[in-house]
Amino acid sequence: MIFSKKKIIIAYTVEQCIKCEMLTKRKFREGDILFAELSKCSSCGSLTRIEKIFGESFEQ
Amino acid sequence: MLILVNFTNFDFDQLFSMGDDSNPLMMLVWILPIILFVFYGQHIQLLVTSSQLKKGIKKLDGFRDESRTELINYLKRNLNVKDDPVKKIDKFLDYFTIMPVDMDPNGIVEKVRHTVRSREDYTRKHVKSLSPEMTDIELTRVQTLLEIASSLQMIYKIINHMFLTAKKQNNYPLILPLQMILPFIMEQAEAMKDAIPAFKTGQPVGDGIGPMVVGKMMLNIEKETIAFQTTFAKTDFEDRTIFLLKAEGPGSTVGRPADALETIVSNNKLDAIIMIDAALKLEGEDSASIAQGFGAAIGGIGTEKFQIEAIATNNTIPIFSIVVKQSVKEAITLMTKEIADKADDVRLQVYDMILENTKQGQSVAIIGVGNTAGVPQ
Repeated sequence: MIFSKKKIIIAYTVEQCIKCEMLTKRKFREGDILFAELSKCSSCGSLTRIEKIFGESFEQ
Repeated sequence: MLILVNFTNFDFDQLFSMGDDSNPLMMLVWILPIILFVFYGQHIQLLVTSSQLKKGIKKLDGFRDESRTELINYLKRNLNVKDDPVKKIDKFLDYFTIMPVDMDPNGIVEKVRHTVRSREDYTRKHVKSLSPEMTDIELTRVQTLLEIASSLQMIYKIINHMFLTAKKQNNYPLILPLQMILPFIMEQAEAMKDAIPAFKTGQPVGDGIGPMVVGKMMLNIEKETIAFQTTFAKTDFEDRTIFLLKAEGPGSTVGRPADALETIVSNNKLDAIIMIDAALKLEGEDSASIAQGFGAAIGGIGTEKFQIEAIATNNTIPIFSIVVKQSVKEAITLMTKEIADKADDVRLQVYDMILENTKQGQSVAIIGVGNTAGVPQ
């Protein structure tokens, strides 16, 4: 237990383009909520929708 | 090579240092511990166990303090509270609920529902009074944070009481049940403490998988509030009428799905109910695994489940369930990638279930059960 590494959880947001369905993963920003249409797709310029918000744990 | 050892010719005097030529000090080395353990064994065990329990209780005290501080800081930083909220929060943390007497179980569910809802209404009203311009979403978040802080306070008080009672009575057997349940209590308490950041920032938790699936099905469909903090939408799928139900997101609430179902059933003929929820996984089961079954998949105190089962029984509607397995911690902390990745799979299974269990022209209610924090519709 003394030598066990501390786990940290980082929240991510996955956006999906409504048109070309391209997925973009970025770090969670305060105010992100699921299904919100926020930004434009870098590939086709259409709106993207937040598909997932999740946490991934990493050892420090 | 066979080696034979003769076990019959031990010299017991020599073995226990009891011979005439042996040192009496060596005798004491054997005899003293025996006497010590016979007469004071339980006291020694009590001391060893006590030190282990003290560490756990100190941790629980830390969790309690941390949750209280987080709640007060959240109120001060994010909401425009009129007066210093500390006194009011401390009063809320010590609130208790006396459950109705169950000697005569007739009508107990109604009584429990009334007691629990009265408490919720009271808390909501008084939390709102801290900052009148608080939005409904903020209000649900503060209520959840308050619930976490008061639960941690209650856990600490009960465990500490059990520990101090055993110590006061110098009673080792009294401390044993505490030693046995403490690891489970610690798991729950740690999960509650770790849930605070997710609820503060409005992130979806593992329990929100049901609302997440139904929320996506509700996109681009007209929605209405059908019961307190509960959203309803009507749509079609393969010539079947679909009634979608979930708690009203993105606030932190579970809504009142049973009341909503009652309203739907009073105006429509339902042929099936499908419930989607998070379920506690058994040890050894994979996290985020999906399972299908029968019966109402809904947790909580039991009043919602009772009401849904009564509606289904009175109207002879079969209830089908899809659950996503997860641990206690996963259910109330930020949703894991594994669980989030299963949302599309669950949605496809719901559509398959509708086709398998209903005919064209029939109606199905789909209920996304769970806390809808960070999950709108």
